[in-house]
Amino acid sequence: MPSTDYQGVSASFSNFGRSILSIRRDQVHSMENTHEATRQEFELETFQRQVADRFNGLLPVGSDELLSLSWVRKLLDVFLCCQEEFRVIMFNNKEYMNRTPMDRLMSEFSERSVKALDVCNAIRDGIEQIRQWKKQLEIVLCALDNQRSLGEGQFRRAKKALIDLEIGMLDEKESNASLAHRNRSFGRNNVQKDHKSLGHFRSLSWSVSRAWSAARQLQAIGNNLAAPRGNEIIATNGLAVAVFTMSSVLLFVMWALVAAIPCQDRGLQTHFYIPRQFTWAAPILSLHERILEESKKRDRRNACGLLKEIHQIEKCARRMNELADSIQFPLTEEKEGDVRQRVQELVEVFKAVKDGLDPLERQLFCVLVFGPWYISFMLQSRLLSVVSIFGFWLLTEY
Amino acid sequence: MEKNDPEKSGRNELKKNDVGSPTPRTPPNLSTIDEKSHRDHPQLQPQQTGDHIITTLSNVDDSCFSDQDHNIDQVSQDIDQFTDRLTTVDHKSNPPQVPDVVETFSKIVESRIAKYYSGGQNRMKFTSKMTEEESFFLEAVRRMSKLINAFSEFQSSSGSGSTTNSSLNRTSMVLQKAMSFLEEELRALLEDSRTSLAHLEGLCTKQSSFNSMRDDSDRCAFPPSELRRDEEGDYPAYSPEVVTKMSRIAAAMISAGYESESCQVYSIARRNAFVEALKNLEFDKISVDDVQKMQWEALEGEIAKWIKVVKHCATVLFPAERKLCEEVFSGNPSTSRSLFTNLARAVVVRFLDFAEAIALTRRSAEKLFKFLDMYETLRDLSSAIAQDDSGHDLKSEISAASDRIGEAAVNIFCDLENSIESDVAKNPVPGGAVHPLTRYVMNYLKYACEYKDTLEQIFQQNKKVEQQSVTTEEEEGGLAISSPFSVQLIAVMNLLDENLEAKSNLYKDPSLRDVFLMNNGRYILQKIKGSTEIHQLIGDTWCRRRSSELRQYHKNYQRETWGKVLQCLKHEGLQVNGKVCKAVLKERFKNFNTMFDEIHKTQATWVMSDEQLQSELRVSVTAVVIPAYRSFLGRFRQYLDSGRSAEKYIKYQAEDIETLIEELFDGNPTSMDGILL
Repeated sequence: MPSTDYQGVSASFSNFGRSILSIRRDQVHSMENTHEATRQEFELETFQRQVADRFNGLLPVGSDELLSLSWVRKLLDVFLCCQEEFRVIMFNNKEYMNRTPMDRLMSEFSERSVKALDVCNAIRDGIEQIRQWKKQLEIVLCALDNQRSLGEGQFRRAKKALIDLEIGMLDEKESNASLAHRNRSFGRNNVQKDHKSLGHFRSLSWSVSRAWSAARQLQAIGNNLAAPRGNEIIATNGLAVAVFTMSSVLLFVMWALVAAIPCQDRGLQTHFYIPRQFTWAAPILSLHERILEESKKRDRRNACGLLKEIHQIEKCARRMNELADSIQFPLTEEKEGDVRQRVQELVEVFKAVKDGLDPLERQLFCVLVFGPWYISFMLQSRLLSVVSIFGFWLLTEY
Repeated sequence: MEKNDPEKSGRNELKKNDVGSPTPRTPPNLSTIDEKSHRDHPQLQPQQTGDHIITTLSNVDDSCFSDQDHNIDQVSQDIDQFTDRLTTVDHKSNPPQVPDVVETFSKIVESRIAKYYSGGQNRMKFTSKMTEEESFFLEAVRRMSKLINAFSEFQSSSGSGSTTNSSLNRTSMVLQKAMSFLEEELRALLEDSRTSLAHLEGLCTKQSSFNSMRDDSDRCAFPPSELRRDEEGDYPAYSPEVVTKMSRIAAAMISAGYESESCQVYSIARRNAFVEALKNLEFDKISVDDVQKMQWEALEGEIAKWIKVVKHCATVLFPAERKLCEEVFSGNPSTSRSLFTNLARAVVVRFLDFAEAIALTRRSAEKLFKFLDMYETLRDLSSAIAQDDSGHDLKSEISAASDRIGEAAVNIFCDLENSIESDVAKNPVPGGAVHPLTRYVMNYLKYACEYKDTLEQIFQQNKKVEQQSVTTEEEEGGLAISSPFSVQLIAVMNLLDENLEAKSNLYKDPSLRDVFLMNNGRYILQKIKGSTEIHQLIGDTWCRRRSSELRQYHKNYQRETWGKVLQCLKHEGLQVNGKVCKAVLKERFKNFNTMFDEIHKTQATWVMSDEQLQSELRVSVTAVVIPAYRSFLGRFRQYLDSGRSAEKYIKYQAEDIETLIEELFDGNPTSMDGILL
């Protein structure tokens, strides 16, 4: 009886996470193919649990590990796994894809995926930017690490690289005016020169147009993202829940990437409306909160990315800079010890960046390559309409 | 190093200029060693212009450096000797005393740098050849870094304050300054000597890098004839002299352990230049999101632009960049390779973004050809980059993108089956003419087969199609070797046949049905024969089978339409008791006339689009009807009453019939009301 069914739905809707699937069970049991239903049910339930487990697995990190390169890589791993499981579910339920409201849900989801691809492209540029900073670090280490004797020449070399690094790390929002005030006494001849080298470093990001904004893109991904209603769940045999889950995961992961990695017009104002009843809501919302807190910290507020390594680069570079400024030659043994210690810090950051960036980029590549699966899936499920054929110019003989 | 030999010999000539040259009058203390300090030095500030430069320079020499007896060759020799001694010492724990000549040498180099910064003498002029002065400087820098390297082999004896260290400290400082100077020099060469006539004006007024240190009036010193236009074929527009100079600087920097700096400067400058080149080609960034929202017409334009740009990169820009890299970093092939790959990668990744975005757009038949164009462009791009071993990752990224485009193309092509299947008509085409679907499909296939090799390649790569090929191949039987693409093509053709067969059933008149099948079959065959590619793919067997089917339709038509007519002209059945029965004869003539008129009336409106087929058909009709009619007429005319009766029943002479047959299949619209559906 349809009326009682509906009541059943609204009643259990309050107890969302656990009951969605049992609603469907009631629905399905009235039908013949119970066997098929249990398989699908199992699949969907497993998906919910796995998403929750995976994000719970990301939770236990100290604030010094949160948003580190290795953590971001774990996050992307989680994303890729979720995506794969989702893909399998959708593939196994192909027959639902062209039915309402599943067709609409999937088309919304593929739109979100397309938007996420643009975020990934921008993030890839950000990775390239960090790679540039890494090169400056490399020069600093080249000058100061493993040197038998530390002379003024080496310090000047390091200092020059540190200044270039500082310029490279300045957020684009910071005006050139503020730059002119920066200490640029080494290796440069005049202010003109400074501006030139500034432009020299800047034009490295080119995957997205000037007007593109990560903040707006995130907003667009999150637009109208709402938990499915009871009737939608029933009509889609529960698949709507999986789509909502994957959409939320997508939004969160893109948001976290934008938080961590430098990219054009970052902004973290995106809101997450996830009913707490979903088992995976708690870990995601908690991570969201922690990252937001991190972004509000005084020393991180103006950072070009919340990635831990970026912070460390900034910190180490600043300390090294200060140390270099305070040094008198010849070097005292104590100072030399300080220098070696600072160098050691730099070596560690450098290693972390060096080892982490390439795998991160490869993961991103996976997202970019395998992500669009949904979209082509959507496209494949549509037949070419005959109308379009006869409107086609080839009809004319040639 | 071999390379240095010419410089060494050049050194002898330097002698007369450099004897007694630069040592700062007052030994600079460490805190003022900054390059700036020289600029701030009032007497070093060049305020003169043009011709005065030379005199100023000699003034600089005179005012700044005492005429000490430092023979520069001697100093260089001494340094080399000391370096040799350092390298031959076995126990690297106790460094030998550093001779004074090291200090002198440092001062000489330092003064050179100072001189350059202060608007020095023949400062590396972009278009001119490397001067001896510059050669000397590069050689001195090399000598200096060798010395420092040799010395750093020794264990630092607790750093603090030994004279050894302080004097070497000084040397390493000067080396650092020299490197810093060379880095700027390299950047300036990279950025500013890439001059095009169009930019000349801007360049003359622009204060750029070290040039701003010189007098501004000196800035427009490049005669336009020496400038190269930044155009196709002339990319990246550095003169050979500049390239040599850059190469020498890079080599000096690398040998002193400043490879990172030289690579950094080079890669950023080239990247910026490349971005500019792309901008000139009007290549814009379009986000994946925007691509999905664009209309196909607009996208087509973007794709055309993309193809143009990618081709230009593959054929002109990338090879030029590779060559430049190889020339500038000629001594370090691995460095040059990785520099080029990194640049190529940054650019290619952008191209791929667009390709991926296009592959994601909604599929439709007309997109096939643009997709194939893109696929081919990416294939060429991949082979343009393939030369570089380290470009392995990049190649796989390109192939991932082209796979996606290829997959989309395969899907579009396979959609053709769906389109044909879903093309269910309710009304037949008037006159049994070629159906629009036949025209569409055949023209589509013909056009697609112009991409035969590419499509074969794509289909080969696509597993999904292989599964289909198994079943189709069984059906085909006769085809021993068939590529996945030809299998797909034959599947499409067979589907088209089935569809036409179904459409032919819409005709109530079986003759018209045959005409329809003949028309369409003929059209298909002609298209296949007109395209070598389709013919190759489809094979002779298929064509032969198709031809014999056509002959069958022809026969069917003749039997169907003209069989009854010929019945009237049969000689049998007219005689009753050995005598010709007039009534029956009259009836026969009447029937013939009616039937023939009816046939003429209807079939003149029918269509035979192929002229040859039309005349073949008419000829074959004439060939059966005319002899029969002649003979019937010849034999039975006599039995009819002469005059009126004969005229009444013998409506046509054989010639009239022939003429009328010639009017059949004209698609004559005058009697459209006679169309039989």
